[in-house]
Formats: sequence, C-alpha cells, structure tokens
Amino acid sequence: MAAAAGPAGAESRVLGYSLHRWSSFSSTYLPEEQNQKLLLFTERSTSYLTFLVVCFCTCFSLNFLLRNILVDRPNDQSSRWSSESNYPPQYLILKLERPAIVQSITFGKYEKTHVCNLKKFKVFGGMNEENMTDLLSSGLKNDYNKETFTLKHKIDEQMFPCRFIKIVPLLSWGPSFNFSIWYVELNGIDDPDVVQPCLNWYSKYREQEAIRLCLKHFRQHNYTEAFESLQKKTRIALEHPMLTDLHDKLVLKGDFDACEELIEKAVNDGLFNQYISQQEYKPRWGQIIPKSTKGDGEDSRPGMRGGHQMVIDVQTETVYLFGGWDGTQDLADFWAYSVKENQWTCISRDTEKESGPSARSCHKMCIDIQRRQIYTLGRYLDSSVRNSKSLKSDFYRYDIDTNTWMLLSEDTAADGGPKLVFDHQMCMDSEKHMIYTFGGRILTCNGSVDDSRASEPQFSGLFAFDCQCQTWKLLREDSCNAGPEDIQSRIGHCMLFHSKNRCLYVFGGQRSKTYLNDFFSYDVDSDHVDIISDGTKKDSGMVPMTGFTQRATIDPELNEIHVLSGLSKDKEKREENVRNSFWIYDIVRNSWSCVYKNDQAAKENPGKSLQEEEPCPRFAHQLVYDELHKVHYLFGGNPGKSCSPKMRLDDFWSLKLCRPSKEYLLRHCKYLIRKHRFEEKAQTDPLSALKYLQNDLYVTVDHSDPEETKEVLLHEGVQRNDPAVPQLTIEVHLLLLHFRGGLHHLQRGVVVVAVLHGLHLLAKSSGTAAGTGANLGAPGCGNGQSLQVDATLKSPNIAS
Amino acid sequence: MSSSGCTFAERRVSVLCCRFCRQVLSWRGMQAVLLADTDTDLYSTDIPPSGTVDFIGSCYFTEICRCKLKNIACLKCGNVVGYHVICPCKPCLLSCNNGHLWMFHSQAVLGINRLDPSGVNVLLWGNLPDLEESTEDTSCTSEEEYIR
Repeated sequence: MAAAAGPAGAESRVLGYSLHRWSSFSSTYLPEEQNQKLLLFTERSTSYLTFLVVCFCTCFSLNFLLRNILVDRPNDQSSRWSSESNYPPQYLILKLERPAIVQSITFGKYEKTHVCNLKKFKVFGGMNEENMTDLLSSGLKNDYNKETFTLKHKIDEQMFPCRFIKIVPLLSWGPSFNFSIWYVELNGIDDPDVVQPCLNWYSKYREQEAIRLCLKHFRQHNYTEAFESLQKKTRIALEHPMLTDLHDKLVLKGDFDACEELIEKAVNDGLFNQYISQQEYKPRWGQIIPKSTKGDGEDSRPGMRGGHQMVIDVQTETVYLFGGWDGTQDLADFWAYSVKENQWTCISRDTEKESGPSARSCHKMCIDIQRRQIYTLGRYLDSSVRNSKSLKSDFYRYDIDTNTWMLLSEDTAADGGPKLVFDHQMCMDSEKHMIYTFGGRILTCNGSVDDSRASEPQFSGLFAFDCQCQTWKLLREDSCNAGPEDIQSRIGHCMLFHSKNRCLYVFGGQRSKTYLNDFFSYDVDSDHVDIISDGTKKDSGMVPMTGFTQRATIDPELNEIHVLSGLSKDKEKREENVRNSFWIYDIVRNSWSCVYKNDQAAKENPGKSLQEEEPCPRFAHQLVYDELHKVHYLFGGNPGKSCSPKMRLDDFWSLKLCRPSKEYLLRHCKYLIRKHRFEEKAQTDPLSALKYLQNDLYVTVDHSDPEETKEVLLHEGVQRNDPAVPQLTIEVHLLLLHFRGGLHHLQRGVVVVAVLHGLHLLAKSSGTAAGTGANLGAPGCGNGQSLQVDATLKSPNIAS
Repeated sequence: MSSSGCTFAERRVSVLCCRFCRQVLSWRGMQAVLLADTDTDLYSTDIPPSGTVDFIGSCYFTEICRCKLKNIACLKCGNVVGYHVICPCKPCLLSCNNGHLWMFHSQAVLGINRLDPSGVNVLLWGNLPDLEESTEDTSCTSEEEYIR
C-alpha cells in the first residue's frame, strides 16, 4: 500500500500541550514565595497546631500546579509534577493541542541531583487514550541537565501521528521515593499539511491489521466462505506461503505423508535453525557412584562436608577436592576423582602434616591447568576462635606432579595482598600466570569496644597476584561510590574468568543485609570495569535469583555462564524451594534464560522421588565445569535442615545440559503428525490403527521421555479394548518385553496395566482363565499400590 | 555529633517538618550545634526516622572530621533534609555529645516546639520517655549462616 511520506524537510518545532490526566499528584509543595512567608510566621510560632492551621490555609490553585511541568524552572524545587506515591500504576497524560508527529521528548530537571528523578520510565502515544503504542523505554540520569530522547514516530518507515502522550514512571533514583517530572517539552511536526496524510495512512494501517485478525479468526473456525470472500475483496495475505501450504495439506486434505515431507524439507532447509538455537537446555542429572577400593578401614571417598573447595583439571578429567566443614570441625583431607576410572583417591588425609595448609573451610581454590598447580587462599574462623588463632592470611600452592605443597606467603596482607577473608572468589589466568581475588569478609578480632554500630563489617577489594614475581597488587578498593570504575565488595558472589576475552565476570552477592544484584565485568588487560547491569532495571540483563546461594561456571567457547540457584537465604521461601533452578547467561546476547525453575508440581506430588532425578537444593556446595566435555560436577554441601543443623552431604553428581538437535525436532514433529493420524484412524478402523501404532508411531516415540511413552501406551491400552484376533498376542507380548526393559520403573505400572488389560481381554476371547493377566505380577508400581484391572471398563484403570 | 553543654534534659523537644512539603520527619528533634563546627546549628534526633526519610547517594566524609556520613532525604518530596552518621569518628565520640546520629539541616527543616501533656508547657527532653533500644544488629550472623 503506497504511503504518504510527508514533504521532506518538514521542520520539527515545540508542540503545545496541556495536562490531561494523571494517576495522582502530590500537592504539598510550597512554591518558594509561599515558603518564605511561612518561614517568617513559624519562627515565631510555639505550637505545632498553629503551624498546621497556617499551612492548611496556604492555598494554591490547581492551575498553578498543572502548569508546573510546562515551565522550566530548575531553581524551584516545587516546579514539578510529583506522584503521590510510587505504587504502580503512576502516569501522566499530556494532550497535544493538535494531532502531531511527536519526534522527541525533552525532560528538564532540578538544578541539583534529586532522588525523585526518573531512573526508568516509558512513554506511550496514540490518537486516543485507549490505543497507545510504546514509543520509548528509557531512564534519566540523576543530574541537572536536560535530556532529550527520540520517540518512535514511524511504523515501517511511515510517520504516524499522536494526540495523547502518556508518561509512565517506573523507578525513581531512590526506590522508596516518589516520581517527579520537572519539565517536559515535546518536539515534532504539527503542520496539518503533513499530519493529515499520515493520519489517513495510519487509519488504513489499523484497518489492515484488523482484517488480518478477522481472516485468522475465520480460518481457525472454518468459515471458509467468509475467509475467501474477505481475502478476495481486500487482497491481504495472512501469512508465509509455506504455512498456507501446510494448512492446506494437513487441515484441509489430511494428507499426512505430504505433511511429513514438507516438515522434513523445512528442517533440512534450515527453517528451524533459529528456533533450535533459542531452545532451552534440558538438564540431565546423574548421581555418581564411584568404585570403592578394598577398604583398610578408612574411607575410600570424601566424607560429608560443606564449605569445601573443588577444582577440575579438564585435560586429565580429574576433580580435586580439599577441606571443608563436616558439621563439627574443619577438615584437611585432599582428594582426587578420576572421571575415567570413576574412582576417588585420597592424596592426603591431613595436608598440614605434609607442609600444606591446616584444616579449613570457606577457603578458595583455583587451578592452573597449564602448569598443573593448585592455589588456596582464605578461610573462615568462627567468633569463638577469632581471638585465639592467628589471623594471618596464609597462601599455599600445590604442585600436582611432584605432590608437594609450598607456603607462598605467611600473610598476604603483609605482602600487599588481601587480609584474611572468607566467602570471597578467586580465579586463575593461566595465560598471563595471574590470580585474581575479589570480595569476601575480612576477619578481625572481636574488639573490646562492643559498639556494634561502630564496627561495620569490612569487605575485601579486588587484588591481582603475579605468580611469576609473587607480588600482590590492589586493583580496586571496596567503594560505595557509583563512579564508572568503582566496585562494591561483597560476599557470596560469583566471579568467573573468561579465558578468551580475558574478563572477570562478577555478579550477585551480599553486603551485610543487602542482596546485590548488579553484574559487571573487569577487563584484566585494560584495567577497565564495565557495568553490564546495575541491578535496578528489570530488563533481560538482570541477575535472577538473588538472595539464593548461587554457584556459577563459565564456558568460554559457547560464551555462556551457567548458574545453579542453590537454596534461598530467606527461610520462609525455603518451603517453596523444593527444586533447584538453573539459569544460563548468554554473554553475547546479554540475556538470562531459565533452564528450569522450582516446580510446584513436585510439591503436590511427593510420591515422585526427586532425589533420584536431581540433587536437593543446598548451600555451601561446590560446582565445577568441564568445558571440554560439557559436564558439571557437584559435591556435598549443607541441605539447610533446621532440625539437624550439623548434617552435611556427601553426594556426588554430574550434570549434562542437552539441547534438542535437528534430528530430535524432526522426530518430534513426525511423532505429533503420526499421533494425530493414529487418533483419526482409531475412530474408523481400530485394527489398522493398532498396527499403525505399533509400527509407524512406535518408531517416532522418544523412549527416554516418560511423557511421550506413557501417552502412547495409554492409547495402546485403549485400543486393546476391542476383541482381537489371536495372532496379535505375540506382538503384544513382544511389545511388553520391549517396553519393560527400557523404562523408568514408575512407568511400568502404566505399561503393565495397559498390556494386562489387553491380555486379559484376549484371554477371555480365546477361552483361557481370566487370571492370566494377574500372573504377570505387578512389580513396577513405584508407589507400592496394587493394580486394578477391570475388564468391564473401557479404559485402563490406573491406580496411582 | 552535637554538643552545647553536657546536659540535654533542659532542651526543648521539637517536631521536625520538611520545609518543602511540610511532612513531619520526626517527633523527637533537638536543636543543637555541630560539635566539629560550632557555627553550624541544626536539629538532631536519636531514633532513626522511619517511613519519613530514606538514604540517598553514597557514604562520604567531610573535611571537618572523620565521621562517615550518608545523606537522607524526605520521602515525600525527595529533597535532601540532612544526614546520618554511619560511623562516628573517635574524637567526636570522646567529646561530650548528645548521642544523636541523625542530623537535619536548619535550612531544610522547620522545628516546632512540642507541648507536654498539660498542653501548656513546652516538652523537654528530660521528660521524653526513652524508647527501647532496637535489637542488636544481626548482620554479622546472617552473613555467616550460609557458608559451610
């Protein structure tokens, strides 16, 4: 449709408007002149009541208030529109004098920074209040400069006009403060010669969209004549031709084979590639049961613990584990797990005896895979021992090949490095042979001055250790300033080193009672901080699940950060937190996606043993990642059971994240097509349908997916309702054997019922005893309840 | 910190109102002078005003002493009305002071005298009931709960 573009070079000018509607406004500001008068009066006042009366009498007209934002008076703190509260929805609607193409909006400010400035807002526009389009999502800087933003004023390169502009404040610079807008100026074109043609085009555009919706509705409801008539008259295309073809073949003609061919072609042509790349990973957890060596009385694998450390050598596929807290005391044992051998080896029962570190927990370790060395720094001392034990921050290195420990420093603080910290983070840069450590809380003696207000916890900054020269350098001090290179230290955060782009990624954490959800990167070569998300905007970059004991790993090749949520630090939320959540951050796209979330269904279905499927949520555990083989390993931790606070875990899990492939997608599409075909057949020719199920449909079923398998078998069971000829007995029997072998035991109950049902009927029809079915036994029901097979019922009666 | 003689019982209790929007900020204000700069007069209060002000910006230090400060603003109009002493410095702590850690600039608030229950006399600090001390800050323990 040809559109009028408007004359080129139409000038943009200030557009006149008035305040039309608002969600609320705060009417308690006193303009400066009034303020002065009141000041003189109250200084002589001795009574609060008198003061109140005076204030009440100080009237100001609504008109005055309404004009506030039309005038730019930065020195008058009252010259603004302000919401009564910051409880949503808050908005301000401006009505333009004439319809205009609104090209930009300018916000004026107060002469000083002010907490009520809009950190985040949206602007909508439209010809009427009911139909408004999103024109802008942005935020203002908290300063005293005017800011201008371009508003969306084109659709498909064609300008459209607005009569109303709605400003929706979302966040102010202080979360508990109200919203204020000091001054608004709109710029655009309101020349009728330009606006009128745009208005006409816009009306036509909206009409076209309405017609497409009608076409869709008609087709969905099979009003073929109406559909064709409308399409012919308006000549508007509904969709991509391939989709029309598919609709024709599948819905209209029921040509399933042609449909399958079409889908296969689409998959091979790569039409589904984008869809696949955006598919979520499916997590596959597996508990690792290592081989145990013949005992000499001692354990052959690490005991239960929390606050331990693990690192992984991806070259040799070895996981190293050191220290921790077993619920009663610190540990000093050092283990290695070989993935290939599936076996733990104890390298040392007590590293202190071998010139290594003393027993400790909440330390941090990192591994230099190239040089085959492991470093450990920091540890936790609870308040009872803080005055008696040394608070020196010892720093050790373990050499794998020579199996020796070396004390690199008795006290890193004395060497210009960090003081003794716990719950910090440490990363290895093998390429430049550097170690980075950030955050953690500094351990101090319990002072004699017990003024808790005076002794705020101190957090450690960002340090770099040059392994070659063995020197420390402070890169960033803990800073509460909001400068571009300032970073706030914290505990319980995640820090990962991306070996390819050579940046540290830091997010989350806690600072006293505040949970931080900012996310920044630090380029180690250019010494530059880049704030990815300041934690306030609810956009796709915002860190999820803050306040949880997250564990994160990085894949530099795929440019992904993987985060396991852990347990909520909010004890009240724990009841809901029966499953872990797993999130992936795409570094390039700057977006978080959830692989899976807490599943409420799990809570309702306690019979389903989750313990077999995935590790229970916990904290103080360890998660490491083998980026070569794309596997995660998790060990131990604290399940947070308030009834047994000393309990720790010693379970060992692997996690693989699987994304569907092209082949999987094709198979799944075929399954859906064939399943529908089977259902149609079942209504007309049940025997043929059964054959179809057992052959064609069966091959497309994903046997590792319990949902799909169960579905097929239920259908199978229903099908068996009709009297069958004897020769099918063999096929059914084979089916039973096959399915039994490959399924999760919970599903067997369903299988057995379905097939029992069939056999029972068969038996009946061929004259044998009705008890045949029962002899097969019912081993499969995971919940221990007995199966009822009732031949009179049309569908299997599954007791569960 | 503020001080003007070592007893404060004779001082009048003021209602502190935001000068810009008349919102009551505190019912327990005391007119005082700044310890580190006795030319500056201001109002102070002992208990954190809740629901009326909130912190803005980040901590800072002034040249006059080493007390760590953070500004507070009126929740209604968003204008800065004073500051809170996050961490007092030793010299200030050791000098005679009224123990108040919440300060309001005199150009940002209005202080109105409060009357005592008789309704006739001005209420004095000596007659103001002490409020219970808020519970000990448990931030230390909560940080250490989830590490091992």
